[in-house]
This record gives sequence, structure tokens and C-alpha cells, in this order.
Amino acid sequence: MLHVRTLSGDDGFLRRVASGELHGSVHSLFDRTINIHCEENGELFTIACIELDNGPNTLVVDRKRFQNMGIAVNDPVSVKADSLIIGKALSLTWQHARQWECVLPVYPSSDQKLRENMAVIKEYVAAHGKSGGLKKASSPANVFEAEVSSLLIARTNELYHALAHGRWSEACEFAIGLVGLGPGLTPSGDDYLAGLFSVYHMPNAPCCLPYPFFEKFTRGAHQRTNEISYMMIKKAAIGHVRESMVRLLEAVVNGTPEEVVHSLGNVLGIGSSSGTDMAMGLISGLALQLEMGGNVCLSKS
Amino acid sequence: MSIKVVIKKSTYFDSVSLMSLSTKANQLPGVEQAVIAMGTEMNKEVLRNVGLLTAEVEEAKSSDLMIVVKAETEELCDKALAGIEELFSKKGETKGTSEIKYATIDSAAKSIPEANLAIISVNGAFAAREARKALENDLHVMLFSDNVSIEDEIALKKYAHEKGLLMMGPDCGTAIIGNVALCFGNAVRKGNIGIVAASGTGSQEVSVRIHDFGGGITQLIGTGGRDLSEQVGGIMMLDGIKALDEDEATKVIVLISKPPAPSVEEKVLAQVKQCKKPVVVYFIGGKEEAVAAAGGHFAKTSKEAALKAVVLAGANEDELNKRALNWPLIEEVRAKLTPEQKYIRGLFCGGTLCDEAMYSAMETFEDVYSNIQKNPDYKLKNLHESKAHTFLDMGDDDFTNGKPHPMIDPSLRIARFLQEAKDPSVGVIVMDFILGFGSHEDPVGVMLPAILEAKQLAEKEGRHLEILGYVMGTDLDTPKFEDQVNKLMAAGVTIASSSTNAGLLAREFVVKGA
Repeated sequence: MLHVRTLSGDDGFLRRVASGELHGSVHSLFDRTINIHCEENGELFTIACIELDNGPNTLVVDRKRFQNMGIAVNDPVSVKADSLIIGKALSLTWQHARQWECVLPVYPSSDQKLRENMAVIKEYVAAHGKSGGLKKASSPANVFEAEVSSLLIARTNELYHALAHGRWSEACEFAIGLVGLGPGLTPSGDDYLAGLFSVYHMPNAPCCLPYPFFEKFTRGAHQRTNEISYMMIKKAAIGHVRESMVRLLEAVVNGTPEEVVHSLGNVLGIGSSSGTDMAMGLISGLALQLEMGGNVCLSKS
Repeated sequence: MSIKVVIKKSTYFDSVSLMSLSTKANQLPGVEQAVIAMGTEMNKEVLRNVGLLTAEVEEAKSSDLMIVVKAETEELCDKALAGIEELFSKKGETKGTSEIKYATIDSAAKSIPEANLAIISVNGAFAAREARKALENDLHVMLFSDNVSIEDEIALKKYAHEKGLLMMGPDCGTAIIGNVALCFGNAVRKGNIGIVAASGTGSQEVSVRIHDFGGGITQLIGTGGRDLSEQVGGIMMLDGIKALDEDEATKVIVLISKPPAPSVEEKVLAQVKQCKKPVVVYFIGGKEEAVAAAGGHFAKTSKEAALKAVVLAGANEDELNKRALNWPLIEEVRAKLTPEQKYIRGLFCGGTLCDEAMYSAMETFEDVYSNIQKNPDYKLKNLHESKAHTFLDMGDDDFTNGKPHPMIDPSLRIARFLQEAKDPSVGVIVMDFILGFGSHEDPVGVMLPAILEAKQLAEKEGRHLEILGYVMGTDLDTPKFEDQVNKLMAAGVTIASSSTNAGLLAREFVVKGA
């Protein structure tokens, strides 16, 4: 059995393993992640390789890859003798891991820098973002990709306008209509929503969305995408997104253009077009905040 | 028209793999449309909109993977689906295609007692253990895996040395043993020149040039990129030189590497001095004096290394086509470029090919930037934006983190190529196209639409954009070397005859006022 050390991890996940409340099985396996289905709360938890960033329900360990380790889907997972045991192949310790918590930056009182950095992000995504999702390819690979891009653009526009006019019930329907749209493991529509929601959860954000919006959204989205992507948008709906997104928001709010470009580069590197789609969601969210400037603030309760 | 669907229940692939599979699936013969996507309601709606919805698709769940193929006939659909299945099996490499599968090296060695070499490509965590097992079974080892600690590498190489075995790697991607190319390699003639190399594409290039000059290879021994570091001390290169010196079929030895650590260079040259056979030394960016003092034959470029080797092996230099630089062509291109078009942009799959072109440019220009520059002042800080003369090794970790190597998936290079083509300060874009075992099945074909688009764009803007291509391969390689070159020429691409010439041509095209 291979023993690996957890370097850092989501504080909730660390508390759960420390209390021994994690029994379940391997849900899915990739080169750089192992997803675990937890029997206690039905959620997915992720063991990620060292190259990946922290995220909700995620532990980052000191391995570069998980290929050919002798782990299979449905292998049992449990906590035994201060180790998280995955199948017969992997044992994880977490006692010296750095705790990570998703803390979104506070929306600034003066938006001058934010406006300047928004221009940087928009320009950079236009130049370096990956096409295939919200960023339409100049020559799509097939009619499916072309149609997906058209639908994404049309539906994100509808969502944007509904949010801009404070019609949250309609907006929620449009948001649900984006879930599962796109070919990837995390469909482009889901990635866009994760980026958008992260902005709406920034403390002091001038435009906010009421709790029932997210509650209704989470219920409506449940069966419309795969379990891995659903976990991402479920967490984003309560303001929990991965570390690279938090870093990008911090840079946009407080950083120099160089810092924005650096953080954005890390986000754009996620998945195939996932990072670009998330960044475009974040751009939409920030644009809404800047355009509305608090004039169309919705009730938080 | 026929539509066929396969639903893979509860199947997940990461987005990068899915995109790569989808791109390849759409290029399969006879396919009009191929879609590989998760079976979400939204994706099913998209399939309905584009006329690809079937009863099977409607049944798919959001955690199922849908494969939908549209082709002229049912037979073509079946063929395409079989092709896609093959792509999936290639992706799941552990499935393998050999007739007999062995669970352990011990059992394989026992069942095939005549075997004398093991190629190991497992997770780095287990690679050292498996390599040791192979050595214990008296097998030479080619260790493709990386992420092996330097301590393990030293221990394995020392153990192999004691047993008189070759320990090629870790991180060794190219070798030719007994005329069989292992992992990445080209189909080259059997001959009397042996190569020991710490550089994958560098050794491929020299072997291809030797073939082009009419020579052939006895063995190409890879050492792994860290072998000539201070810590490892060149154990494998020293053993490789010794093995080739003792090999009757080998008449000339060629050494290839990036500049070694000084103490290791001394050891290697001391061994060269002891050799009974002529040794050509090509250390990229290296100096001639020390090599000459050791009685070796210094080569400044990969072409020179190959040329010296074939001449030392018995070829008549006067009868060889040395593929001299085409100066009239250089003058012609210079005349076409405007004074503003002063920069080279190199987009390479092969690290050594990038290095060689970069060194050529550095002989004439100061402002030469790269992701693999040794000089920190000229190391590209923002990888997404080129600066002055820029040479990118797109197979480096900088670009391949989480993505397939550009020799397999060209999408990143295509996007970057189109970006560079829009820059009015660019005079020439130089690219390599690597043929052979392990490479893309049609490296030129996948770039052609982008090349044509770039040419049209430049023409519309009233400027000439020089695109320089080098196809690394031999007449024995698949796909056909000649076809690949002809496709490029038909698209208006200038062809370089070697990696060395590609670097020199690119440099000379943008020299102003000469």
C-alpha cells in the first residue's frame, strides 16, 4: 500500500476525516484526481495531486499522478487508525496538512481599480481564452460545438438581462437552463455559473441574490448534470469555489494588472475550456455589479 | 445518411481527454459529424437541434457518456465507432494490445527466457521498483517513466553498471535497439554508427540525418535527461560509450546532449580519449577546444554531427548532398519582408530542435526569448505573449501540464500559430513536424487549415508571411515523408532540409541590410 501525505485541504474535509466520518467508495478516477462518494452526506470528496489547487471538499496530496495505482471505481474508502484508506492501494495521512478555507475577498468601496482590472481580464480572455465553450471557435469542430456555443451565448445573455433587471425568479430558470450545457466533464454552462456565483457571494457586493434563488437553483440543477459537476455548482451556490478562482477575484479587487494576468493564467489552465468559461462567468458577475452599482439590489432574505 | 449511437454508462473522462478524443473522432475517414459528450438534458437538446437525436440518446443519463456518429452509410458509421473505440482504448493505455499479458516482470522474464530488455512505463512511484526487478532478472531497461527520484536513478544506474546492463532513463523517450525503435523514434537504416544521447528529439534528428546522408545506425542508446548532471555523473553515457566501443558492428560513436555539468564533461571526454573508435561529440552550445583535446570530433550542429559520423564511417564526403543553405531563396524572402517584419517566431514540438534553432538565432541577435532560455534575462516571463525573437518548446512542461504533448495533440500550437501570424512584426514562423513511431498520424494535415488561414490573413493585410517548416522523418517513416512535405509546399510553406537548416534559414530570412 502506498502512503501519501496531505499537503493542504478544505477545512471541512479535514474535520470530517479527523472525526472518522468518511465511509464510502471510489466514485471516479482520473490521472490527477480521485473522487470519493461519501455515504454519510452523499457528497463527492476529491483527492487531488500536488499540481492542482485547493477547492471545496478537496485534499491536495504530495503525488504527481494517480495512474496505474491499482485503485478501481467502487473500491471501499474509510478512515482507519488516523489514515484515510482507499481500496487496498492508497493510505493518506492529513495530520500536518495546511487548512484551507474558501474566503472570498470583500467587494471594494471604490471600484476604480476593479474597473481597470476588468478591462485587463476581458482583453486577456479574448486573446488567450480557450474556445469550444462560451468563447466561440472561429471554425467549430462540428455542428454540435457550434450549436453549444450559440446556445451558451444566447442563454447567458438572457440570464444576464434577467439579473440586470432584478427578475431573480426568471434568472433562476435561465441559470438552471444552462446547467449541463457543453460536452466536457464540467459542462461550459456549469463552469460559467460557478464563476458568476462566486462574484455574487463576495461580501459587500452591491448586487446580491436572495437565498431562495440558490436554494431553487440547487434543487433544479440536481439531475441536469453529472455528479462531479453538480458538486462544483452546488458548492459555488454557497460561495465556495476553488482557490485559483479566489486568487483571481483577490487580484481583480486589490492587485496590479500583472497580478491579474498571473492569476487569470492559472484559471485559464483549468480543464479544456473550463477555466475560460469560469472566467467569463466571473466577468459577467463583475460587470453586473459595476453596471448596477447597488441600484438594483435584491433582498438578501 | 446514417446515425449511430453508443452510450457508455457512468463513464467519466476529463475535459482535456474528451476534447482531444472528439477532435480525433471528427477526423476519422467517412465521418460527417462525431459528438462525444456527457448525456445531460441540455446536450440532448443540442443534439435535437442539430438533427442528431435518436431513441438511444434520449435514454442517456447525465453521468453517461454519449458517442454519436453521423456518416454516409451504416458501414461507415460502424467503422467510425470502431475507430473511436480504438481511440478510447489508446487513451486507457493499461489495456494494451499484446497477445500475452504478464502481471509481473518476474513472470514475463520466466516465460520469455530469451528476452533481454524491458521497457517500463508505469507511475513514477513504482517505476524504480519495477526497473530494479528487471535488472535483477538480467534485463536491460528502458525506463520511460518520469517522477523517479534522483537517488533512485543513481542507485539503479550503479546496480546496472555492476551487472553490465544498460539502464536507459528514467524519462528516456527514444532508443533504437537492434534496429527497432522504442517509444518515440524514426525508421532508419541499419548501419555502423552508434549513438548515445541524453536528448530525445536531438537523437531522433541525428539518426534521421545519418539516414539521409546514406548511413545507418547500429544502436541508439538513450540515457535520460538527468544522466549528465553532477549528481548522476553520466553513469549511463559512460557505460553506453563503452558498450558501443566494444560492439563490433559499430565503427563510429556519436554523443548528443545539452551541455553537461563541467565535472561530468571531463569524465565523458576522458572516456572518449580511451575509445578505440572515432567519437563525434555534439553538446548543444558546447565548445570545441576540450573535445578536440580529447581526440574527439566536435560538431556544432546536429547536421554536422551526422555528416562527420557518416564520413568517419566510410562515406565519401564529395559524393554527399550536404544540403547547403539556399542563398537565392534567402535573398528572395528578405526582399518580400517589410522593414517592420524583423522577428522570428519558432513553435516547436521537439525540445532539442527548438534549442538548436534558438542557438542559431542567438549567434546573430541579442533579443532571443524562449521558455527554455538558460539566460534568465531572456526567459519568457509571460508564456502567452511572444517578445522580439521567440522560440517556444511547446512540449515542455510549461505547455503540457494537464494537456497532451503537441506531437499528439496539436490544438495549442495551432492557436499559438494563428496568434503569431497576426503580429505585423513577425517575418517568419518556423515549425517542426515530427514523423515516426509515437507521433501524430498526420502532423502536417492537422496544421494545414491554420496555415492557409494565416497566409490569407497576411495577404489581406498586404504583407508576406514566411512560414518555414521542417519535417523530421525518413523515407521509411509513416506517414510518408514525401506526402507530408508536398502538402506543406502546396500550402506555400518553405521547407528546411534539416533542423540545423531550419534555424539558419529562419535567422537569415530576417537579417536586415545584409
